[in-house]
Amino acid sequence: MRRIIAQARKELTQVFRDRLTLALALLLPLVLLALLGKAISLSVTNIPVVVQDLDRTPSSRRYIETLQASLTFRVAPLPLSTQPPEALERNEAYVAIVIPPQFERSLQRDRETEVQWLVDATDANTANIMRATSVALTQDFLTRMNLMAGVQPAIRAEIRFWYNPGRESEKHIGTGAFAVMLALFPPLLAALATSREDEQKTILQVYVSSISAQEYLLGKALAFMCVAIAEWVLLLASAIPLFGLRFAGTPAPLFLSTMAYLFCSVSFGLLVGTLIRNQAAAIQATQTVAFLLSFLLSGFIFPIANIPTSVRWISHLVPARYYIEVTRDAFLRGGGWAAVWHVPVMLALLGSLFFLIAWLRMRRMQMDV
Amino acid sequence: MSADAVTEGTAASTDVFLQKPLEDAVPIRVRDLRKSYGALEAVKGVSFAVRKGEIFGLIGPDGAGKSSIFQILGGVMQPSDGEASILGRTPRDARSMIGYLTQTFSLYQDLSVAENLRYVGELRLLSKEEIRERSAHYLRMFDMDRFADRLAGRLSGGMKQKLALACALIAEPKVLLLDEPTTGVDPVSRREFWDALIPLAARGMTILVATPYLDEAERCHRIALIHEGRIHATGTPAELRHSLGLERLEVRANDLARAEELLRKARGIEDVQRFGDRLDVLVRDVAQGERSVRETLKDLNVTELHLREPTLENAFVATLRELEGDVSLSPFPRARQTGMPKRNTTAISARSLSKRFGDFQAVKGVDLEVRYGEIYGLLGANGAGKTTTIKMLCGLLEPSGGTVTLAGERDLRSSSVRQRIGYMSQKFSLYDDLTIEENLDFFAGVYGVPRREREEKKRWVLSFSGLEGRERQLTGSLPGGWKQRVAFGASIMHEPEVLFLDEPTSGVDPLARRALWRMINDLADYGVAILVTTHYLEEAEQCNRLGLMVAGYMVAQGSPSDLKTAQRGTLIELITDEPQLAMKILRDEMERWRVSLFGDRLHVVVDEDEDTAIKKLADRLKRNGIDVVRAYREPFSLEDVFIQTVERARREGKVAPED
Repeated sequence: MRRIIAQARKELTQVFRDRLTLALALLLPLVLLALLGKAISLSVTNIPVVVQDLDRTPSSRRYIETLQASLTFRVAPLPLSTQPPEALERNEAYVAIVIPPQFERSLQRDRETEVQWLVDATDANTANIMRATSVALTQDFLTRMNLMAGVQPAIRAEIRFWYNPGRESEKHIGTGAFAVMLALFPPLLAALATSREDEQKTILQVYVSSISAQEYLLGKALAFMCVAIAEWVLLLASAIPLFGLRFAGTPAPLFLSTMAYLFCSVSFGLLVGTLIRNQAAAIQATQTVAFLLSFLLSGFIFPIANIPTSVRWISHLVPARYYIEVTRDAFLRGGGWAAVWHVPVMLALLGSLFFLIAWLRMRRMQMDV
Repeated sequence: MSADAVTEGTAASTDVFLQKPLEDAVPIRVRDLRKSYGALEAVKGVSFAVRKGEIFGLIGPDGAGKSSIFQILGGVMQPSDGEASILGRTPRDARSMIGYLTQTFSLYQDLSVAENLRYVGELRLLSKEEIRERSAHYLRMFDMDRFADRLAGRLSGGMKQKLALACALIAEPKVLLLDEPTTGVDPVSRREFWDALIPLAARGMTILVATPYLDEAERCHRIALIHEGRIHATGTPAELRHSLGLERLEVRANDLARAEELLRKARGIEDVQRFGDRLDVLVRDVAQGERSVRETLKDLNVTELHLREPTLENAFVATLRELEGDVSLSPFPRARQTGMPKRNTTAISARSLSKRFGDFQAVKGVDLEVRYGEIYGLLGANGAGKTTTIKMLCGLLEPSGGTVTLAGERDLRSSSVRQRIGYMSQKFSLYDDLTIEENLDFFAGVYGVPRREREEKKRWVLSFSGLEGRERQLTGSLPGGWKQRVAFGASIMHEPEVLFLDEPTSGVDPLARRALWRMINDLADYGVAILVTTHYLEEAEQCNRLGLMVAGYMVAQGSPSDLKTAQRGTLIELITDEPQLAMKILRDEMERWRVSLFGDRLHVVVDEDEDTAIKKLADRLKRNGIDVVRAYREPFSLEDVFIQTVERARREGKVAPED
């Protein structure tokens, strides 16, 4: 135990000595949190749309008004001289809508006509959203024109939004960004401190003393847990006002999971630091693995259910996946222990796994050749 | 060796190992130790034993296997075969009784002196009081108690090394392993370091030390010459010096280059080595040798001829030559179109050169002149301003004051000047991640070596470095000494008229060092002006002229012989029955620097004449019950000169003690 404390104290002294790194480690996550949380927005608004109205009747104008009323679109007329695909080619609009001549007449006489939507599907996701919007808006138009009478569908979906009634994507992304920051910075510090010992050969000093691998690693873990907790407090204190978060239920699962998650993060850093004995490479490895995996495979932006099954299994090894579940539950859903009891368990298991591998690598406390 | 033989040997030796009295008297035992890294066998069956209280030196070049042996004995690496025991246990189990100082010192640069000591102490489970007391004790002992709060990274090289030693000592080990503790450290710090070691051994600590410096080897009780993973000779320094059965004649003559060439072919002469303004001639029979020298050099006017003891370097070089033959030196392919500048005209000249970095005055009014055909050596402790000076002289750094003329021009950055100078720095001269060939191509390119000459020049560098057929190897994978040879070759491919060499031979084995110096001499004979810095004082002897820098000042200049003659006082060598105690007694009455211990011999610098001084010293020791066995006057070595000059400058207030 005394050696663990000695090791931890040495690490903390070094951390506090290097003011620049410490400042970066504490402030950079805050900046990134704000950037990620604010810049990534999944709602689609203000899409530039051009409309070529070949009918010019009250009905066609009514249709255009319906489009204008939606927040999704910013509508501009397209002069008759321009071909609609040209507007797409010149990147003036994502959607070009052509209202055919005889639009009103066909509607009134045949109760059936077509409006052409040319959608730029380069961004498949936005294209999908616009397809859904086109259907919804057209439906809306028909209802207003009282053209739906008598054709009521047998089942009507009655939708109400739970947990995040305003569908504010900021709350969703913010809680995720919070977890991603904690997946990135604590392991970075831990990995640097571990690989530095190898790079500067101070590890020999450690080997010749009789400290054991677990004492050495626990000492380091303890020190960087302290730093990570400080990071967590700072991040939480900024995320709450920044994204307008409020605890939705008991925060107890969050607190317990946080400890397990930070242990996971720090152990991952130790693992990288013991495997890669060069600081520059260790930074790259931590950033790439920790950041990319937590970004892509944690459900931060892309729902895990949407990830192709061939790579989805990897997400089970990504600690951020579990922690994001618990932060979203704590701030949005409020499901409490019943909903997230598995999170601290999984995190503790993963953390122990990382720690175990690092320990296996170090256990001989000798140089390997 | 068959598998049976190995097991048998092991069983037999284990019995011996377990005998209690033996393990106390012989704390370090190594038997048929082997270590392989993949296909490379670094240690090829090494055996030796170190007695209690002994300082045992492993002497050998880079890549000889010294570090592997230390890592095994330190318990941080497993041997491939054979056994190593410390105090009768495996090194791993004996870790609590071992102090281990690695080449890189293993210090945490961003922790303070006290924090470094505390961390090591706590890892070894010392109590708070023990850590406090022992830290204070060792810091006081090494005269660095003022620096307890300074960051280790801000200490000078010598201080770092003493701190590392304090860290190794804090657990009060019985066995101390020192792996090249003084590499890259200046002579003053090196002497201080050894002064700290000797009393530890006297108190019963067993010390194993590796060093490439042969003058340090002289201070060990016993040494082993190790080369390519094998030990080739073991004994006391005196035994090894005389193991050759050769005597050394110091010869001074008019045309040394020619004299060397003639003597090489002469009969009755075993070896000729050139050292600056003199030749060392090794002969088996003194009378016959002397006759042969006089006869061979009758046209060259032998000005001096003295009989001296052979040096360890003589012994080492002879042993290595037997093993691998001398490094052959193919002639450098010269393709110069224009003639060389006239000999003895000024190549480099500096007038009241100074450099200031913020508040710190690194170089203070240095005057210096180097002529074509001359080898000028710049000596000084770490931080004396040597590297800053050399950088200003070759135009890498703008001086704050004073003027520099290089190859007749004042504009040091002009391309015509740059084309005529060569520069090799101790570090950073080659790219580790390029192959040897790619490095040579790159340097040939940037120095504008004409395309048709490149192939021949490259082949010459490869043959000079002994790396023919290995040009595709990554430069980073070469041992330091070989890299230095490639870097040296690369720096002269474009046939410079002025050559700057910043520590060209650190980590190079003695044979390669001789080859390098033969090449340097060859260049100088051709008319190249050469300015070189070095920590090896043996090597400084090879320079025609020396400049000694202390704290930014040039405090002395002249040929090695001039500097030695100019020394005030007399050097007395004393052999006593209790050298440790004698040193302590004399140091109590005289200034510290005047007394130092070399193995079993004491060197004392006195101001009186020889006879009076010997009488006084003997009387003083007699009163304390110590008998002087032998006492005589010794000529000053360059190291003595160096240390005295630094001390005198310090007393004149030129150097503030490090603060």
